[in-house]
Amino acid sequence: MANEMQLNNISENNFEQCLKCSICTVYCPVSAVNPAYPGPKQSGPDGERYRLKNPEFFNDALKMCLNCKRCEVACPSGVNVGDIIQKARMKHNTHSPKLRDMMLANTDFVGSMATVVAPVANFAVSLGVSKAVLHSVMKIDKHRTFPAYASQKFETWFKRNAQAQQSKYSKHVSFFHGCYVNYNFPQLGKDLVKIMNACGYGVHLLDKEKCCGTALIANGLYDQAKRQGETNMSSMRSAIAKGRTIVTTSSTCTFTMRDEYHHLLDVDNHDVRDHITLATRFLFQLIDEGKLKLAFRDDYKKRVAYHTACHMERMGWAIYSTSLLKMIPGLDLVMLDSQCCGISGTYGFKTENYETSQKIGDSLFKNIADANVEAVATDCETCKWQIEMSTGVPVLNPISIIADAIDVEKTIELNKNR
Amino acid sequence: MKFNTVIMGGGLSGLTCGIALAQAGQRVAIVATGQSSLHFASGSFDLLGYDSEGKAVENPVEAINALPESHPYKKVGDVEKLTAQAQDLLAAAGIKTTGKAGKNHNRLTPLGAVKPTWLTMEDYITIDGDKINYKQVALMNIIGYLDFPTKFIADGLRKLGAEVEVKPITLPELNEARKSPTEMRATNIAKVLASEAIVKRLASEINAKASNAEAILLPAVLGIKNSELAQLLKEQVNKPIHFVATIPPSVPGTRMQALLRKRFEALGGTFLNGDKAVKGEISGTKLNSIETEKLVGTRLEADNFVLATGSFMGRGIVSDYEKVYEPVLGADVDFIADRAQWTRDNVWEAQPYMEFGVKTDAQLHVMKQGKPLSNTYAAGQVLSGNNKVKLASGEGVDMLTALTVANNILNK
Repeated sequence: MANEMQLNNISENNFEQCLKCSICTVYCPVSAVNPAYPGPKQSGPDGERYRLKNPEFFNDALKMCLNCKRCEVACPSGVNVGDIIQKARMKHNTHSPKLRDMMLANTDFVGSMATVVAPVANFAVSLGVSKAVLHSVMKIDKHRTFPAYASQKFETWFKRNAQAQQSKYSKHVSFFHGCYVNYNFPQLGKDLVKIMNACGYGVHLLDKEKCCGTALIANGLYDQAKRQGETNMSSMRSAIAKGRTIVTTSSTCTFTMRDEYHHLLDVDNHDVRDHITLATRFLFQLIDEGKLKLAFRDDYKKRVAYHTACHMERMGWAIYSTSLLKMIPGLDLVMLDSQCCGISGTYGFKTENYETSQKIGDSLFKNIADANVEAVATDCETCKWQIEMSTGVPVLNPISIIADAIDVEKTIELNKNR
Repeated sequence: MKFNTVIMGGGLSGLTCGIALAQAGQRVAIVATGQSSLHFASGSFDLLGYDSEGKAVENPVEAINALPESHPYKKVGDVEKLTAQAQDLLAAAGIKTTGKAGKNHNRLTPLGAVKPTWLTMEDYITIDGDKINYKQVALMNIIGYLDFPTKFIADGLRKLGAEVEVKPITLPELNEARKSPTEMRATNIAKVLASEAIVKRLASEINAKASNAEAILLPAVLGIKNSELAQLLKEQVNKPIHFVATIPPSVPGTRMQALLRKRFEALGGTFLNGDKAVKGEISGTKLNSIETEKLVGTRLEADNFVLATGSFMGRGIVSDYEKVYEPVLGADVDFIADRAQWTRDNVWEAQPYMEFGVKTDAQLHVMKQGKPLSNTYAAGQVLSGNNKVKLASGEGVDMLTALTVANNILNK
């Protein structure tokens, strides 16, 4: 009886397992540079004990949390420290999101509008005067370089140029491209199609894709995030019913849909979660099982440093991307110490966070400068913006590196009869 | 994914074993569930501080002979050779220590007590016998730092024959750090004292407050990544300066974790941070592969496996109301069936549960259902038969059993 009670009495987010060892705070990137933030132990399990008694104990300092989850990676006791903090924000925060937060969060809406007028939009946000207005009125920091909008959405390109050929393959995957591929960098989506097709897989869009919602969660728009999550899960269910795995190229979208939907938004994803995977993991696992082979160009040569994005670290999947990259004979791969770059999605775009954001990334930027590389590889698009702006070194998704290095003809030949 | 050896556990024993194997050319992966108990490290390494009767040990190498046959040290072979190998391994990772296996010295605890130990990181205060080398010391502490009870430490130092003056010091940046007073911990202070410029200003502050002291003692709050800044401080302060261990989280421990991992990775090792071995696939007496929580659908295959998952705190062994068990492989565990006998009422007495752990044969093979698993070994605190608190033997057992396992694997 006592044993049954002990085994079944597990609190939400493993909150009661906290031993107060403070190891989470040792690895918190924010408390390292901003003493006003009380750190994950205090904001998470410690504060939760008080908040359970009286919500008045909720503290606005919790919004300084990046949601990087490095506290959860560090915790020896399996406490979901970051989730406790996010849940507390969802439950107790009474401030409604500002116009700025809504704009930063609504990547779908803003992206759709901006791609229509891409050249004008890109030009306008690059102007000093626009940046000054954004900085002073909107509190979007003037130091930031806005990610450029593409003039043609990935979906438009795909429907016009690739969709028709996809049915000729015998194996198929669905691609959750995310906002970044769709509005800012369609080339990454094209790179994925190139690799998958060479490996004998047809690529398909989902019936209906919505932004994964990570920026909505960060900016307090939880109801909208939940609605979008439900749309995505239902689209994915119909793809899974056709026997397709859902591949992605963004570590944060993947993490959000696999873990945050269930942990934070109460979106039921139990039947979908294991079918969502990063494209690098999908490819590596097939190769590891002997079901796929990649051939690479003889003349490919590059020195690249790998940066482990926070949500990649939380998923524990960096090993997949790096193992895949190490298969490229001409690639000289340098591992950077795993640490937060400081941007954390929309966090670093906000004027009040700019300084913290850059201080967090400082030692990473130094490591990149010392590594003497031609490019940095990472699975996260917002890390890309931060690292490119702060170091000037170009940042590539591992999928783009593979697409560049792959020998398409030979790869098709190798996988023909598999 | 295939490796020569897969190690479960990324603390002192897992990393020691991993480094030794990678050094010998093996392809090694470590699966590390969260951060390790190195974060509570004192800055010293104990080999055997007390014998079974609780008497302080002068020569651990000799005293080990008198331990009962059930103690893990009885399975490690040549203690002197292994201790030298352990000290070299630490030095190669950037962790320089003083001390030797044949003669314990004393360390100063954060509460001012004196305890026998084997190795101490350089720059730490050590004590030979019951006298400190200095007649007059300035014990400095940072204003607002509460994990360093200066009164206890000063009392301890006075018992060792020193005159002690306690001096509070600070810098504007350290005052700023007090905005979150509960988080004014050693590791957070180390993150503030993280540049050459600020360490130089700290040195000026120390020099200004040193008055006529012969030597300065400072809490260990410097150098979370490596020992460079501690070195710089030593050069800048114009009197001998030594660190004193603090209440955790431990700066030298965090540094050790970082340096050992760096060394392991530099040797080509794969460190799977924040992942967890959940089960093993065993056929007969051989472990073929393990599965982890994060790498769903990818089995980690290896010729040999090492269980270095720690004791209760690391969850290498787990208890419920009826039993104590090993959660990954279901290995045999030594424990007392009667739960009432697990603990003693007097908290200062040796607690029987401290000796619970995984059963092994003479070569440290893990036992399962009474038979040894031919390619699976255990190292460190997961092993049964060691009460590391009572014997002051934690780090020695971690490192010596890890090196023995590495040798047993390599000599197969």
